[in-house]
Amino acid sequence: MRVIEDVDQWFVELYDQHRGLVFSAALRLSGARGDAEDLAAEAFLRAYRAASGYGEERRAALRTRAWIMTILMNVWRNHLRAVARRPPPDPLDDAADPPDAAESVEQAVERQETSGELAALLRRLPENQREAVVLRHVGGLSIGEIAEALGVAEGTAKSHVSRGLSRLRALAAGLDQGGFR
Amino acid sequence: MNRDPRPDPLIEGLAGLADDAPPRLLDRIAARWVRADSPVGAVFVAFTDRGVAYVRRDGPGVAEEFRRRFGRPLLRADSPPDGLAPALLGGGTAAPEVAVDLRGLTGFQADVLRAARTIPRGQVRPYAWVADLVGRPRAVRAVGTALATNPVPLVIPCHRVTRSDGTLGQYIFGADAKADLLREERAAAG
Repeated sequence: MRVIEDVDQWFVELYDQHRGLVFSAALRLSGARGDAEDLAAEAFLRAYRAASGYGEERRAALRTRAWIMTILMNVWRNHLRAVARRPPPDPLDDAADPPDAAESVEQAVERQETSGELAALLRRLPENQREAVVLRHVGGLSIGEIAEALGVAEGTAKSHVSRGLSRLRALAAGLDQGGFR
Repeated sequence: MNRDPRPDPLIEGLAGLADDAPPRLLDRIAARWVRADSPVGAVFVAFTDRGVAYVRRDGPGVAEEFRRRFGRPLLRADSPPDGLAPALLGGGTAAPEVAVDLRGLTGFQADVLRAARTIPRGQVRPYAWVADLVGRPRAVRAVGTALATNPVPLVIPCHRVTRSDGTLGQYIFGADAKADLLREERAAAG
Protein backbone atom coordinates (compact mmCIF):
# COMPACT_ATOMS: atom_id res chain seq x y z
CA MET A 1 0.00 0.00 0.00
CA ARG A 2 3.00 2.29 -0.11
CA VAL A 3 2.54 3.44 -3.67
CA ILE A 4 -1.24 3.40 -4.09
CA GLU A 5 -2.34 6.48 -2.21
CA ASP A 6 -5.87 7.19 -1.05
CA VAL A 7 -6.28 10.04 -3.48
CA ASP A 8 -5.49 7.73 -6.39
CA GLN A 9 -8.03 5.15 -5.25
CA TRP A 10 -10.50 7.97 -4.78
CA PHE A 11 -9.75 9.20 -8.28
CA VAL A 12 -10.30 5.79 -9.87
CA GLU A 13 -13.73 5.62 -8.23
CA LEU A 14 -14.54 9.15 -9.39
CA TYR A 15 -13.43 8.27 -12.90
CA ASP A 16 -15.36 5.00 -13.09
CA GLN A 17 -18.49 6.63 -11.76
CA HIS A 18 -18.52 9.68 -14.03
CA ARG A 19 -16.42 8.93 -17.11
CA GLY A 20 -19.47 8.26 -19.32
CA LEU A 21 -21.23 11.40 -18.17
CA VAL A 22 -18.18 13.63 -18.59
CA PHE A 23 -17.27 12.18 -21.97
CA SER A 24 -20.86 12.26 -23.30
CA ALA A 25 -21.39 15.86 -22.25
CA ALA A 26 -18.04 16.86 -23.77
CA LEU A 27 -18.92 14.98 -26.96
CA ARG A 28 -22.36 16.58 -27.35
CA LEU A 29 -21.08 20.05 -26.50
CA SER A 30 -18.09 19.93 -28.84
CA GLY A 31 -19.56 17.63 -31.48
CA ALA A 32 -16.20 15.94 -32.08
CA ARG A 33 -14.75 12.84 -30.43
CA GLY A 34 -11.18 14.14 -30.45
CA ASP A 35 -12.19 17.38 -28.74
CA ALA A 36 -14.36 15.43 -26.32
CA GLU A 37 -11.41 13.29 -25.24
CA ASP A 38 -9.24 16.37 -24.76
CA LEU A 39 -11.92 18.13 -22.73
CA ALA A 40 -12.74 15.10 -20.59
CA ALA A 41 -9.07 14.31 -19.92
CA GLU A 42 -8.42 17.93 -18.93
CA ALA A 43 -11.45 17.99 -16.62
CA PHE A 44 -10.40 14.79 -14.82
CA LEU A 45 -6.80 15.98 -14.49
CA ARG A 46 -7.96 19.27 -12.97
CA ALA A 47 -10.24 17.36 -10.64
CA TYR A 48 -7.34 15.17 -9.52
CA ARG A 49 -5.05 18.13 -8.94
CA ALA A 50 -7.70 20.00 -6.97
CA ALA A 51 -8.65 16.95 -4.91
CA SER A 52 -4.99 16.20 -4.12
CA GLY A 53 -4.94 19.40 -2.08
CA TYR A 54 -8.24 18.78 -0.33
CA GLY A 55 -7.63 16.25 2.40
CA GLU A 56 -9.74 13.20 2.97
CA GLU A 57 -12.65 14.82 4.77
CA ARG A 58 -13.28 17.46 2.15
CA ARG A 59 -13.00 14.88 -0.63
CA ALA A 60 -15.51 12.64 1.10
CA ALA A 61 -17.97 15.55 1.44
CA LEU A 62 -17.90 16.43 -2.27
CA ARG A 63 -21.05 15.95 -4.29
CA THR A 64 -18.87 14.59 -7.02
CA ARG A 65 -21.29 14.61 -9.95
CA ALA A 66 -22.06 18.34 -9.79
CA TRP A 67 -18.41 19.03 -8.89
CA ILE A 68 -16.82 17.24 -11.84
CA MET A 69 -19.41 18.73 -14.20
CA THR A 70 -18.64 22.22 -12.89
CA ILE A 71 -14.99 21.56 -13.74
CA LEU A 72 -15.92 20.24 -17.18
CA MET A 73 -18.02 23.32 -17.92
CA ASN A 74 -15.11 25.58 -16.96
CA VAL A 75 -12.81 23.59 -19.23
CA TRP A 76 -15.42 23.77 -21.99
CA ARG A 77 -15.81 27.54 -21.69
CA ASN A 78 -12.04 28.03 -21.71
CA HIS A 79 -11.97 25.91 -24.85
CA LEU A 80 -14.71 28.04 -26.45
CA ARG A 81 -12.77 31.20 -25.68
CA ALA A 82 -9.62 29.68 -27.15
CA VAL A 83 -11.33 28.79 -30.43
CA ALA A 84 -13.44 31.96 -30.57
CA ARG A 85 -11.29 33.52 -33.27
CA ARG A 86 -11.49 30.53 -35.55
CA PRO A 87 -14.39 30.35 -38.03
CA PRO A 88 -17.18 28.08 -36.75
CA PRO A 89 -17.60 24.70 -38.44
CA ASP A 90 -20.62 24.27 -40.69
CA PRO A 91 -23.23 22.81 -38.33
CA LEU A 92 -24.60 20.58 -41.08
CA ASP A 93 -21.22 19.12 -41.97
CA ASP A 94 -21.89 15.96 -40.03
CA ALA A 95 -25.62 15.79 -40.79
CA ALA A 96 -26.85 12.65 -42.53
CA ASP A 97 -29.15 12.19 -45.50
CA PRO A 98 -32.02 14.67 -45.96
CA PRO A 99 -35.21 13.51 -44.24
CA ASP A 100 -38.08 11.93 -46.11
CA ALA A 101 -40.83 14.57 -46.54
CA ALA A 102 -43.48 12.04 -45.50
CA GLU A 103 -41.90 11.45 -42.08
CA SER A 104 -43.64 12.62 -38.94
CA VAL A 105 -41.74 14.69 -36.36
CA GLU A 106 -41.49 11.58 -34.20
CA GLN A 107 -40.10 9.51 -37.03
CA ALA A 108 -37.66 12.25 -37.91
CA VAL A 109 -36.41 12.44 -34.31
CA GLU A 110 -36.09 8.65 -34.16
CA ARG A 111 -34.09 8.60 -37.35
CA GLN A 112 -31.97 11.48 -36.17
CA GLU A 113 -31.11 9.52 -33.05
CA THR A 114 -29.41 6.88 -35.14
CA SER A 115 -28.08 9.16 -37.86
CA GLY A 116 -26.43 11.69 -35.61
CA GLU A 117 -28.68 14.41 -36.95
CA LEU A 118 -30.13 15.11 -33.51
CA ALA A 119 -26.57 15.71 -32.33
CA ALA A 120 -26.17 18.18 -35.19
CA LEU A 121 -29.42 19.94 -34.28
CA LEU A 122 -28.21 20.22 -30.71
CA ARG A 123 -25.23 22.15 -31.93
CA ARG A 124 -27.54 24.76 -33.48
CA LEU A 125 -28.94 25.79 -30.10
CA PRO A 126 -27.69 28.95 -28.42
CA GLU A 127 -24.77 28.05 -26.15
CA ASN A 128 -26.56 28.39 -22.80
CA GLN A 129 -29.55 26.34 -23.97
CA ARG A 130 -27.33 23.65 -25.46
CA GLU A 131 -25.33 23.34 -22.25
CA ALA A 132 -28.50 23.06 -20.17
CA VAL A 133 -30.17 20.53 -22.50
CA VAL A 134 -27.03 18.38 -22.71
CA LEU A 135 -26.59 18.34 -18.93
CA ARG A 136 -30.28 17.61 -18.30
CA HIS A 137 -31.21 15.15 -21.03
CA VAL A 138 -27.95 13.59 -22.21
CA GLY A 139 -26.27 13.68 -18.79
CA GLY A 140 -29.35 13.20 -16.62
CA LEU A 141 -28.39 15.90 -14.11
CA SER A 142 -31.00 17.45 -11.84
CA ILE A 143 -31.90 21.12 -12.25
CA GLY A 144 -30.02 21.84 -9.02
CA GLU A 145 -26.88 20.15 -10.34
CA ILE A 146 -27.16 22.00 -13.65
CA ALA A 147 -27.52 25.34 -11.86
CA GLU A 148 -24.35 24.54 -9.89
CA ALA A 149 -22.38 23.38 -12.93
CA LEU A 150 -23.39 26.42 -14.99
CA GLY A 151 -23.12 28.89 -12.12
CA VAL A 152 -26.68 30.17 -12.58
CA ALA A 153 -29.88 30.22 -10.53
CA GLU A 154 -32.12 27.14 -10.69
CA GLY A 155 -34.88 29.12 -12.40
CA THR A 156 -32.44 30.17 -15.09
CA ALA A 157 -31.21 26.60 -15.57
CA LYS A 158 -34.78 25.35 -15.85
CA SER A 159 -35.66 28.03 -18.37
CA HIS A 160 -32.59 27.25 -20.51
CA VAL A 161 -33.59 23.57 -20.59
CA SER A 162 -37.16 24.29 -21.50
CA ARG A 163 -36.36 26.87 -24.18
CA GLY A 164 -33.69 24.61 -25.59
CA LEU A 165 -36.14 21.72 -25.89
CA SER A 166 -38.73 23.93 -27.60
CA ARG A 167 -36.15 25.15 -30.04
CA LEU A 168 -34.96 21.61 -30.73
CA ARG A 169 -38.54 20.55 -31.49
CA ALA A 170 -38.91 23.49 -33.86
CA LEU A 171 -35.61 22.67 -35.54
CA ALA A 172 -36.61 19.01 -35.93
CA ALA A 173 -40.01 20.04 -37.36
CA GLY A 174 -38.30 22.47 -39.72
CA LEU A 175 -36.03 19.72 -40.92
CA ASP A 176 -39.02 17.45 -41.39
CA GLN A 177 -40.60 20.03 -43.69
CA GLY A 178 -37.36 20.63 -45.47
CA GLY A 179 -37.26 24.06 -43.86
CA PHE A 180 -33.47 24.11 -43.52
CA ARG A 181 -32.60 22.64 -46.90
CA MET B 1 -49.82 9.16 -12.59
CA ASN B 2 -50.86 11.77 -15.12
CA ARG B 3 -47.68 11.23 -17.13
CA ASP B 4 -48.12 10.57 -20.79
CA PRO B 5 -47.35 6.85 -21.18
CA ARG B 6 -46.01 7.42 -24.68
CA PRO B 7 -42.29 8.08 -24.67
CA ASP B 8 -41.21 11.48 -25.96
CA PRO B 9 -38.96 10.66 -28.94
CA LEU B 10 -36.96 13.86 -28.53
CA ILE B 11 -36.15 13.11 -24.86
CA GLU B 12 -35.37 9.51 -25.74
CA GLY B 13 -33.23 10.65 -28.64
CA LEU B 14 -31.24 12.96 -26.37
CA ALA B 15 -30.77 10.21 -23.77
CA GLY B 16 -29.51 8.03 -26.63
CA LEU B 17 -26.71 10.51 -27.27
CA ALA B 18 -24.97 9.41 -24.07
CA ASP B 19 -21.92 7.28 -24.73
CA ASP B 20 -19.22 5.57 -22.69
CA ALA B 21 -15.73 7.02 -22.61
CA PRO B 22 -13.22 5.24 -24.84
CA PRO B 23 -10.92 2.93 -22.83
CA ARG B 24 -7.84 4.95 -23.76
CA LEU B 25 -9.18 8.05 -21.98
CA LEU B 26 -7.89 6.91 -18.58
CA ASP B 27 -4.40 6.49 -20.00
CA ARG B 28 -4.45 10.09 -21.15
CA ILE B 29 -5.00 11.12 -17.53
CA ALA B 30 -3.25 8.64 -15.26
CA ALA B 31 0.33 7.38 -15.30
CA ARG B 32 1.17 3.74 -14.61
CA TRP B 33 4.03 2.43 -12.55
CA VAL B 34 6.13 -0.70 -12.39
CA ARG B 35 9.23 -1.81 -10.53
CA ALA B 36 12.08 -2.97 -12.70
CA ASP B 37 15.65 -4.20 -12.41
CA SER B 38 18.42 -1.96 -13.61
CA PRO B 39 22.20 -1.74 -13.35
CA VAL B 40 21.78 0.56 -10.33
CA GLY B 41 19.36 -1.80 -8.59
CA ALA B 42 15.56 -1.86 -8.38
CA VAL B 43 13.96 1.21 -9.92
CA PHE B 44 10.50 2.69 -9.88
CA VAL B 45 9.31 3.51 -13.42
CA ALA B 46 6.25 5.63 -14.24
CA PHE B 47 4.96 5.97 -17.78
CA THR B 48 2.09 7.61 -19.64
CA ASP B 49 0.46 6.96 -22.99
CA ARG B 50 3.31 9.02 -24.47
CA GLY B 51 6.16 7.06 -22.98
CA VAL B 52 8.41 6.62 -19.94
CA ALA B 53 8.11 9.72 -17.76
CA TYR B 54 10.02 8.98 -14.56
CA VAL B 55 12.76 6.62 -13.40
CA ARG B 56 14.09 6.73 -9.86
CA ARG B 57 15.65 4.33 -7.41
CA ASP B 58 12.80 2.49 -5.74
CA GLY B 59 12.22 3.59 -2.18
CA PRO B 60 10.04 5.54 0.24
CA GLY B 61 8.60 8.74 -1.15
CA VAL B 62 9.26 7.99 -4.80
CA ALA B 63 5.57 7.90 -5.73
CA GLU B 64 4.90 11.09 -3.76
CA GLU B 65 7.74 12.78 -5.59
CA PHE B 66 6.23 11.68 -8.91
CA ARG B 67 2.85 13.15 -7.97
CA ARG B 68 4.40 16.38 -6.80
CA ARG B 69 6.32 16.75 -10.03
CA PHE B 70 3.69 15.55 -12.51
CA GLY B 71 0.28 16.03 -10.84
CA ARG B 72 -1.15 12.85 -12.30
CA PRO B 73 -2.84 9.87 -10.70
CA LEU B 74 -0.49 6.93 -10.46
CA LEU B 75 -1.88 3.45 -11.05
CA ARG B 76 -0.16 0.09 -11.01
CA ALA B 77 0.60 -1.17 -14.51
CA ASP B 78 -0.26 -4.67 -15.66
CA SER B 79 2.97 -4.83 -17.61
CA PRO B 80 5.98 -2.63 -18.31
CA PRO B 81 6.03 -0.54 -21.49
CA ASP B 82 7.55 -2.21 -24.56
CA GLY B 83 11.30 -1.99 -24.66
CA LEU B 84 11.75 -0.89 -21.05
CA ALA B 85 14.14 -3.62 -19.95
CA PRO B 86 16.74 -3.09 -22.71
CA ALA B 87 16.37 0.69 -22.31
CA LEU B 88 17.21 0.47 -18.60
CA LEU B 89 20.25 -1.60 -19.48
CA GLY B 90 21.48 1.28 -21.59
CA GLY B 91 20.26 0.04 -24.92
CA GLY B 92 22.38 -1.71 -27.47
CA THR B 93 22.70 -0.55 -31.03
CA ALA B 94 20.03 -3.14 -31.90
CA ALA B 95 17.63 -2.16 -29.11
CA PRO B 96 14.58 -0.18 -30.26
CA GLU B 97 14.25 3.17 -28.55
CA VAL B 98 11.59 3.20 -25.88
CA ALA B 99 9.32 6.24 -26.08
CA VAL B 100 9.80 8.92 -23.44
CA ASP B 101 7.34 11.53 -22.21
CA LEU B 102 9.24 14.80 -21.75
CA ARG B 103 6.15 17.02 -21.37
CA GLY B 104 6.54 19.31 -18.42
CA LEU B 105 10.17 20.03 -19.20
CA THR B 106 11.30 23.28 -20.77
CA GLY B 107 12.32 23.16 -24.42
CA PHE B 108 15.94 23.56 -23.35
CA GLN B 109 15.80 20.68 -20.88
CA ALA B 110 14.17 18.43 -23.46
CA ASP B 111 16.78 19.40 -26.08
CA VAL B 112 19.60 18.60 -23.65
CA LEU B 113 18.12 15.19 -22.90
CA ARG B 114 17.58 14.36 -26.56
CA ALA B 115 21.18 15.31 -27.24
CA ALA B 116 22.39 13.07 -24.40
CA ARG B 117 20.37 10.23 -25.85
CA THR B 118 22.48 10.24 -29.01
CA ILE B 119 25.69 9.30 -27.15
CA PRO B 120 26.42 5.65 -27.98
CA ARG B 121 26.89 3.04 -25.29
CA GLY B 122 30.55 2.75 -24.33
CA GLN B 123 31.30 6.40 -25.08
CA VAL B 124 31.15 9.68 -23.14
CA ARG B 125 30.85 13.35 -24.12
CA PRO B 126 31.66 16.51 -22.17
CA TYR B 127 28.97 18.90 -20.93
CA ALA B 128 30.27 21.49 -23.42
CA TRP B 129 29.58 19.07 -26.30
CA VAL B 130 25.92 18.89 -25.28
CA ALA B 131 25.77 22.68 -24.92
CA ASP B 132 27.13 23.03 -28.47
CA LEU B 133 24.70 20.46 -29.83
CA VAL B 134 21.66 22.28 -28.44
CA GLY B 135 22.92 25.59 -29.82
CA ARG B 136 23.72 27.15 -26.43
CA PRO B 137 27.53 26.80 -26.25
CA ARG B 138 27.79 29.11 -23.23
CA ALA B 139 25.11 27.28 -21.23
CA VAL B 140 27.38 24.51 -19.92
CA ARG B 141 26.21 24.97 -16.33
CA ALA B 142 22.54 24.92 -17.38
CA VAL B 143 23.23 21.69 -19.27
CA GLY B 144 24.57 20.23 -16.03
CA THR B 145 21.41 21.26 -14.19
CA ALA B 146 19.15 19.83 -16.90
CA LEU B 147 21.01 16.51 -16.76
CA ALA B 148 20.98 16.49 -12.96
CA THR B 149 17.18 16.64 -12.98
CA ASN B 150 16.75 14.13 -15.85
CA PRO B 151 13.36 12.50 -15.14
CA VAL B 152 14.36 9.35 -17.03
CA PRO B 153 17.99 8.43 -16.20
CA LEU B 154 19.30 5.18 -17.76
CA VAL B 155 16.60 5.42 -20.47
CA ILE B 156 18.23 8.70 -21.43
CA PRO B 157 21.89 8.04 -20.56
CA CYS B 158 22.82 11.30 -18.85
CA HIS B 159 25.62 9.33 -17.15
CA ARG B 160 27.50 9.43 -20.48
CA VAL B 161 28.02 13.17 -20.09
CA THR B 162 31.20 13.87 -18.14
CA ARG B 163 33.42 16.83 -17.24
CA SER B 164 35.93 18.03 -19.79
CA ASP B 165 38.74 17.78 -17.18
CA GLY B 166 38.32 14.01 -17.29
CA THR B 167 36.48 13.62 -13.96
CA LEU B 168 33.04 12.11 -14.16
CA GLY B 169 30.87 14.75 -12.48
CA GLN B 170 27.64 14.23 -10.57
CA TYR B 171 24.88 11.71 -11.18
CA ILE B 172 21.31 11.25 -9.95
CA PHE B 173 22.16 7.77 -8.70
CA GLY B 174 25.50 8.91 -7.22
CA ALA B 175 29.03 9.36 -8.54
CA ASP B 176 29.96 5.74 -7.76
CA ALA B 177 27.04 4.42 -9.79
CA LYS B 178 28.13 6.64 -12.68
CA ALA B 179 31.65 5.24 -12.56
CA ASP B 180 30.35 1.65 -12.38
CA LEU B 181 27.95 2.15 -15.28
CA LEU B 182 30.57 3.72 -17.53
CA ARG B 183 33.10 0.99 -16.69
CA GLU B 184 30.57 -1.74 -17.54
CA GLU B 185 29.54 -0.02 -20.76
CA ARG B 186 33.16 0.46 -21.85
CA ALA B 187 33.94 -3.17 -21.13
CA ALA B 188 30.86 -4.38 -23.01
CA ALA B 189 31.62 -2.13 -25.97
CA GLY B 190 35.34 -2.87 -25.99
